[in-house]
Amino acid sequence: MTQFQEDKQEQKRTTAEWVTFSIASSILVAVVGLVSFTWIKQPAQKPPVLLVKSNKPLRKLNGQYYVPFEVVNRGGQTAASVQVKAELRINGKVEETGEQQIEFLSRRERETGAFIFSQNPKEGELILRVASYKSP
Amino acid sequence: MKFNSLRKIFKRTKNKTKGKYQKNPWRSELNDIVRGGCGGFLFGIPLLYTMEVWWIGSSATPAMMLTALILTFIVVYLLMRTEGFRKPRRFNRRYQAITETVEAIGIGLICSAFVLLLLRELSPGVSLKEALGKIIYESVPFSLGVALANQLLGENGNNPPDSRIEQNQSVGINATFTDLSATLIGAIVIGFNIAPTDEIATLAAAVTEPWLLAIIATSLLISYAIVFQAGFSAQEQRKQHRGIFQKPFSETMICYLVSLIAASLMLWFFQKLTWNDPWTIWLEHSIILGLPTTIGGAAGRLAI
Repeated sequence: MTQFQEDKQEQKRTTAEWVTFSIASSILVAVVGLVSFTWIKQPAQKPPVLLVKSNKPLRKLNGQYYVPFEVVNRGGQTAASVQVKAELRINGKVEETGEQQIEFLSRRERETGAFIFSQNPKEGELILRVASYKSP
Repeated sequence: MKFNSLRKIFKRTKNKTKGKYQKNPWRSELNDIVRGGCGGFLFGIPLLYTMEVWWIGSSATPAMMLTALILTFIVVYLLMRTEGFRKPRRFNRRYQAITETVEAIGIGLICSAFVLLLLRELSPGVSLKEALGKIIYESVPFSLGVALANQLLGENGNNPPDSRIEQNQSVGINATFTDLSATLIGAIVIGFNIAPTDEIATLAAAVTEPWLLAIIATSLLISYAIVFQAGFSAQEQRKQHRGIFQKPFSETMICYLVSLIAASLMLWFFQKLTWNDPWTIWLEHSIILGLPTTIGGAAGRLAI
């Protein structure tokens, strides 16, 4: 085989290279497509809507009461430094409080955690609320 | 299905190219991809252990993500015009730089998604937009690394084999010692950037035992690929080393252990781990920092 023919042969892509290229380009197209999809799907960015609730039964361990909570962002934009507060009122008086800060909560993201009280929350009124957040 | 038709279309091309130049085009293609991926890991792993990049990815708007992709494309294209991840270089083809750019970004996206998944930064709870942002932002250094793959650790193809002969004369215990110290140096160079940061503790909190095993497997695989598979410089020379732990598998294992020890020592040095911590914490943190230190160690062995 002459040098010229070898050079000419090199110019053609092998099947393997075509497969790599087609997989790579389909990945790129898929990613660009998904980004465009998320772009179109949320025309107006609604501000964060933060909901907190206690979704699981409380646990009692070593004389402490663990109240699991779940906070979810139902709005459009991401919220940063989401502050979740819990107040335990017994006979109308605030006996114990708890605070938790969540670094980032993007759209539809859920975070879970627990507040810990030394008195039984069932004997009083437990108030869970999101106190604040900031825009990232 | 798609690839079957592709295969049919290019069957003729394949038959023609089956000349003496490349004995197995699939194998050399796989080597090229592995080399690209290894370059990506070398360049991209420090940024993967950076929380801020995850957050930037999480809160990025789709417009910013597309901008990031376009900018990456331009930069990688400019790099690809001079150097790529394939061997031998083929400049004479049309659109070569563009196709390689697409491939580099593809490899970058896959690698960053894989590591993010491994480190539990991508999980079913993460929304699509956030996942895309994380993958795209982390893929930027990976794609650059793929483009720089041949430059990161030099190209051996044209080098005369003089140096190899000299190296072979000092095989044995010396080669083993050189390898271990090179691993240690490489591990420390990469690990020092990551060990004092909070990422290790954050990642350790999210990772469960099966994922730790997966991280160990990945560390070994990438280390093996960088040193023995990717066709970086000095690889042929390495295969001729004869020492106590110079078989590819045993060398990979021993160097992984060295990288793990280096990782735990650095964590201790920066007071991220103390003697009072339970051994499970030491193990978890060392394994998580072990991934970047192993990659650094593998690069160190090739560099020396």
